[in-house]
Amino acid sequence: MTSTRTRSGLAAKRFSFSAVTATVALLALTACGASAPASSSNASGDSSVSSSTSATSGTITVEHAQGSTEVPVNPENVYVFDLGVLDTMEALDVKAAGVPEAVFPASLKEYESVDKIGNMKEPDFEAISEGAPDLIIISGRTAGSYEELSKIAPTIDLTVDQNDALNSFEKNAEIVGDIFNKGDEVKSKLADIDAKIEEVSAKAPEAGKSLIVMSSAGELTAYGAASRFGIVHDILKFPVAADVKVDGAHGEAISFEYIKEKNPEILFVIDRDAAVGTATGAANAVLDNELVKSTDAAKNDKIIQLDATNWYIVGYGLNNTLSMIDEVAKAL
Amino acid sequence: MASPAVTSTDTLHRSSFSAKARSTSSNAVSTYAAESRRTRRALLLGVAVVTLLAVVSMFVGVTDVSLPALLSGDPAAWEIFWISRLPRTAAVILAGMAVAVAGLIMQLMARNKFVEPSMVGTVESATMGILVATIAFPSAALFAKMGIASLFAVAGTWLFLTIINRLPSRNTLLVPLVGIMLGGVIGSITTFFAYRYDLLQTLNTWMIGDFSGVIRGRYELLWIVAAVTAIGYIAADRFTVAGMGADFTTNLGMNYKAIMRLGMTIVALISAIVVTTVGALPFLGLVVPQLVSLFFGDNLRRSAPLTAVTGAGLVLVCDILSRTIRFPYEVPVGMIMSVLGAALFLILLLRSQRKEASRPRA
Repeated sequence: MTSTRTRSGLAAKRFSFSAVTATVALLALTACGASAPASSSNASGDSSVSSSTSATSGTITVEHAQGSTEVPVNPENVYVFDLGVLDTMEALDVKAAGVPEAVFPASLKEYESVDKIGNMKEPDFEAISEGAPDLIIISGRTAGSYEELSKIAPTIDLTVDQNDALNSFEKNAEIVGDIFNKGDEVKSKLADIDAKIEEVSAKAPEAGKSLIVMSSAGELTAYGAASRFGIVHDILKFPVAADVKVDGAHGEAISFEYIKEKNPEILFVIDRDAAVGTATGAANAVLDNELVKSTDAAKNDKIIQLDATNWYIVGYGLNNTLSMIDEVAKAL
Repeated sequence: MASPAVTSTDTLHRSSFSAKARSTSSNAVSTYAAESRRTRRALLLGVAVVTLLAVVSMFVGVTDVSLPALLSGDPAAWEIFWISRLPRTAAVILAGMAVAVAGLIMQLMARNKFVEPSMVGTVESATMGILVATIAFPSAALFAKMGIASLFAVAGTWLFLTIINRLPSRNTLLVPLVGIMLGGVIGSITTFFAYRYDLLQTLNTWMIGDFSGVIRGRYELLWIVAAVTAIGYIAADRFTVAGMGADFTTNLGMNYKAIMRLGMTIVALISAIVVTTVGALPFLGLVVPQLVSLFFGDNLRRSAPLTAVTGAGLVLVCDILSRTIRFPYEVPVGMIMSVLGAALFLILLLRSQRKEASRPRA
């Protein structure tokens, strides 16, 4: 018995190294795959586009995040991956023919039964190809599929640049207006938004320093200015409670001690679990603790729950931007 | 307690690592006593190091809590200490101890040194359990979710042990490979459903251990793990014997199946509770028992406390790093654990290979 054991032991030694290398590689792979960012847009945007042949009402050239594309005016069959753009189209009363699988907010509920063209991050190329759209609109989450989608139909990338969110959003809204011949309506809606921003940003600097956190599965991340939720600080002018530097879409992981230490007077909360439809009130449970309760925000009843779907899923759209500003204004 | 059976177990197992295996049975007994003394000294040293690390851990954080402030009775400092620091350090120690011991028990049950719960489907099954609970009963209490996770973990572990018991050969390489495959299958099913239900990122939080959310009231379930680990220690000799195989165990008049069931339950409970409260701690269950058995042999009664202490120490180091690398933000401890654990394991392997080469063939 001893001898067989020793022999198998020796064999083990000889092979174990490759086994472990395999294990390490496997773990590394899973780790990478899980955390691969969706917004890895390629800088060298190949802007050559197969322009659509059916030019009944002409085409226009659209400059977007990944180059310029010849787009038909008033396209009938439009596939939209960005719910913010969808919201803009809704505001202009034009419909999309294809949308991703998503948790739709009440204002876009009708899209639950519209043809599905993949999920928010991954296009279903076969379904899209079969549907032969006249135009495909993508954004950050699907930016990486630009090349592939361009081969199927004219594709434009209307990602909102987080470093210049408002201007970037307005430019995108104008593009959508141009495509659907609704430029004037876009202008008037944007004027409404600007007026609202002016109204809120006039009072916000005195409202107190604020911190934006997102809760997900019991853990917290913080966002600062120039982040995906930076509109609060950058545009609406709420002072920051902490100078959070964020790279990546999911903020910086923080402890509850961090919140207590930064002691915000206003705490804006985005409940990711609610946004993806797993649990309602999860963020409340997470924040219901002694450290958060000892902050000024809690004492002054200024823990503001932002609508997770509006903020996390939809983002910048002509209607939704107004709703987002209204939510933030509750802190005033 | 130092029955002949235990002694022979000890020497037999050590044969793969130490040259002392060729000792006769009479001086094996005296070696046993010497080894016990050595183990006790190592344990004392380990406890001292862990205590030191625990103290360091309690003074690392975003809020400034200093020893003078605590000594002068500063209420704000004490508040942070009780609400945030002590719970976190306790959680780290409890999880580290338990996961390391779970790895040790798993290695004995599978009779293979290259397996651990997060490699053979136990942790993957526990994660699947939480996912199922989250989808099916989103508003269920944490305790209920944990219960479901434990059931899944038991099932996954049982499946693994059943498969490897039917393998035609017990090749050292084959067992972990089968485990990795099984874990992969369970993991991919879990990922598929997480993907369908938009829970991929939530799944990620479970798969990567993270103590950033630990405060008073958020970790207490880990004390259950301490109790379970203690049961593992009490039953230690049985696992050592079961590690010799079913026939051997039965010949000693012990119920092999019952021992395996107990081991499975302990490993599954530890995995499920740790995954639901702080997330998976990769490599811990693999590296720590390896390290301890390399230096102190395989008698679980003797090596379990050392394994527990080493596990606690390693996680403490990783957690302190996770809080300081990107201060004041945090890096998940699971990530640091992966890097450090992988490096440690490679060093261990390279070391033992060199030893192997220099040793005369038996």
